[in-house]
Amino acid sequence: MDLLLPIVNTKINKPELENKLNEKLGDERELFRIVCDLKMSGDYGQSVVSFTDSGILCVDEEDSFEPIFVKYDDIEELKFKRMYGNAVFVANKKDGSVFILGRATHALTGLMNAGVQFFEKKGTDISEEEALESIRTTFNNLVCACPKCGRPLIRPGADCINCASKGKLIHKLLKYVTPELKGLISSVLLSIISTAVSLIPPYATKMLVDDIIPSKNKVMVLMIVVFLLSAYATQHIVLAIRGIILRRCGDRIVEHLRSDLFDKAQRLPMRFYDKTSTGSVINRISSDTSNLQSFILRITQEVFSQAFLAVGIVIIMISMNWKLTLLSLIPVPFIVFASRTFGKRIRPYYRRIWRKWSAVSSILTDSIPCIRVVKAFANEARAAAKFNKQNAEWRRVSTKAGTMSSIFPNIISFVVTCGSLLIWYIGGNSVITGNSEISTGLLVSFISYTSMFYGPISFFAGLNDTYQSALTSTERIMDILDAEPENDSGKGNCPEYIKGKVEFKHVSFSYDKSKNILSNINLTIEPGESVGIVGTTGSGKTTLVNLFLRFYDNYEGTILLDGVDIKKIDMGFFRSQVGYVQQEAMMFSDTIFNNIAYGKPNASIEEVISAANVANAHSFIMKHSDAYDTILGERGVGLSGGERQRISIARAILNNPRVLILDEATSAVDSETEKLIQDAINHLVKGRTTLMIAHRLSTLKQADKIMVIDKGRIAEFGTPEELMEKKGKYYKLVMIQSMADQVKLEKEKERLE
Amino acid sequence: MQSIYINGDEARLTRTGLTELKLELFNGPTYEHVEALRLFPVSGTRQYISLVDSEGKEIAIIRNLDYLMPDSMKAVEESLGAYYIFPKIKRVLARKEKYGNITWTVETDRGIHSFDIRNTSTDIKVLYDGRVIIKDSNDNRYEIESYDNLDSNSIKIMKNDM
Repeated sequence: MDLLLPIVNTKINKPELENKLNEKLGDERELFRIVCDLKMSGDYGQSVVSFTDSGILCVDEEDSFEPIFVKYDDIEELKFKRMYGNAVFVANKKDGSVFILGRATHALTGLMNAGVQFFEKKGTDISEEEALESIRTTFNNLVCACPKCGRPLIRPGADCINCASKGKLIHKLLKYVTPELKGLISSVLLSIISTAVSLIPPYATKMLVDDIIPSKNKVMVLMIVVFLLSAYATQHIVLAIRGIILRRCGDRIVEHLRSDLFDKAQRLPMRFYDKTSTGSVINRISSDTSNLQSFILRITQEVFSQAFLAVGIVIIMISMNWKLTLLSLIPVPFIVFASRTFGKRIRPYYRRIWRKWSAVSSILTDSIPCIRVVKAFANEARAAAKFNKQNAEWRRVSTKAGTMSSIFPNIISFVVTCGSLLIWYIGGNSVITGNSEISTGLLVSFISYTSMFYGPISFFAGLNDTYQSALTSTERIMDILDAEPENDSGKGNCPEYIKGKVEFKHVSFSYDKSKNILSNINLTIEPGESVGIVGTTGSGKTTLVNLFLRFYDNYEGTILLDGVDIKKIDMGFFRSQVGYVQQEAMMFSDTIFNNIAYGKPNASIEEVISAANVANAHSFIMKHSDAYDTILGERGVGLSGGERQRISIARAILNNPRVLILDEATSAVDSETEKLIQDAINHLVKGRTTLMIAHRLSTLKQADKIMVIDKGRIAEFGTPEELMEKKGKYYKLVMIQSMADQVKLEKEKERLE
Repeated sequence: MQSIYINGDEARLTRTGLTELKLELFNGPTYEHVEALRLFPVSGTRQYISLVDSEGKEIAIIRNLDYLMPDSMKAVEESLGAYYIFPKIKRVLARKEKYGNITWTVETDRGIHSFDIRNTSTDIKVLYDGRVIIKDSNDNRYEIESYDNLDSNSIKIMKNDM
């Protein structure tokens, strides 16, 4: 192990800094070192924080900074202070003095946090090896660069696009291409046939002009025409068939890709969604797949047929006349150069048009759905002005791009025309002087071949750009397909009967490793008990519930259900045993019936009705003319907040869960509806272990026990009576709320009078 | 509850740590371990500075740094300078795009630096006054004080992403 020490995140750039560090270290054994990307002054540069056997050493590349060495034994507390655009270590020494060690941008916060954790572990019975091992993994994960070439990776552990070879990416796509191989190959063959056939007409023209018309052979003219007719017919029939086959294959490829992506997206852990916006995931499933599809078709089809076309034409042209062939090749370098420049120039414009357009559409999506607010604050004119401004910017960029895309292709085709004019001139002269083998027909057909030849040239010139953008799409798609799905280590382990005992043992958790949201939670809830969770916003209530629902599994400590680690229970089974009523009741665009039966698709009609009855939802559902067949819009449009809430309660009841989680179920409703919901909840809670998150203490009347969470720790836990007697935080909350209620009552009285 | 404002010389601030200050209100108590935070870090930099205690609770707001007593002003400026690293980009030197990863190399008032931009459409913001605020993949921020005054090469590079 010693050989691999110290663990280092990156190289030190300046040898002087390295020397300074080594000199200060002396005989100390260095365990790990964080090379920071800021100098202590806050300018870009390097400072180093080195954790040795006995303490922490900090050196800076500036000579004016006197290196600091602090022994672990002297440190009372080591903190990592995240500031704006930078972070530092703060060491509070036992003698009261404070030291600032190392300074880095947010790129290194993960490492710094690992350093703090290492220090904290030093005081416990965790062995040094173990502590170092976790440092090593953090370093490996956070130093998000390819170990081979040092290039940054899109996420830790991802394949380096540069090193993992394009072959590997393409290889992954093969899975989708292989089943369609038959279709793709036959369509390539068909396209080669049609290309071959398309080479015939110019040649026929040559025969017509040179031999048949001068010899006044009417029969031959007819024959040539019939021959051409059949050639054209074959070409178009073949093309049509090829189009059908290709479309079928392409659609199937994109269908499979999309299904796999969607399926994977469902199974990704919440962690992934915390980091990636849902919009970008949707984008990847919808547009990146089509992007890729067109690329796959291009590379498997066009490349072959265009290459065949180019080679075929060159062979025919050379066989006709090599001098003219060389002549017609003159514009080729220009075309290659021009279409590449054009591609490069126009691409940013498309991106900008897209961006401007999304600015326009974001104003649209802001102001149209919020039209009430716009009108209520008399903001119509300002909204219109804002829209006009963005719209005008969009127009400017779009016009510019339009100008470019009108001018460039015309320049190219002008040059192509010039090329053929050259052939006309030289070829025409040769025909007139008659001292070469060039005949009129040959010249005419030669011109046709030349113009056909430039198509493949510009295709190949632009191929690299398509390839690049397809690689980007591939990478974005693979980012999802390769991501770790939710860890279901207990697959298949479905206990027969769940009593509903919930235990948290030493549970600590943080979303981004910079700040613990929950610290050392210890908790036991007996079967059938209902526990109210109280605390200010941001105290960790919802996080606690998220951990129990297994949305995150990278916490420390264990959570047990009936004495079994929840990580060791089958995930699907586990979640079916846990009912969850969310703060914001989400509805699917489906019928009310299906929305209630969401967790139990095979539920009988009567079960659903009875669940709706228990949830106090039946009566309002009946009032809709379509009753249970009412189709809800997005997010449950057409229902009030309280109605949605009751449907989501019915959803939870139907599943008959053993453990129930209610996340501020009555937060957004009036007091009458609250009563109805409360009623529904009371039915639901009976005999089930329940965790209730609540702001309103009236919701907690049913609770057997109350837990007060403060800054991620359990501040108080006990029966409501016990807590009232204790006169702690809960007592204060009750007093504040009853005072508020008192005021409300008085006001209502006043109004009545 | 309304915020308390410090207009000028009714308070003395002294620097006690990297970012920590001691706040003495002349008509009231003295607070230790106070930190100065900008209420508008992106837009105004010398106005509306909130003073918070170690729990993050606000004690008072400084209306304008310029009206403080010179020593206090210096203390707050230094504390803010240590807390906020918000480099000003002077020139954009290079741009690299590889498989969707966009890397900019820039010259700032704090030296030359390279960073990745995740999402060019949300992470590069042009404000109405011509400033550009850029967020990198690690949530560090950079500012361009005036887009129009940049050299043409920088603008040419930036246009790829704007």
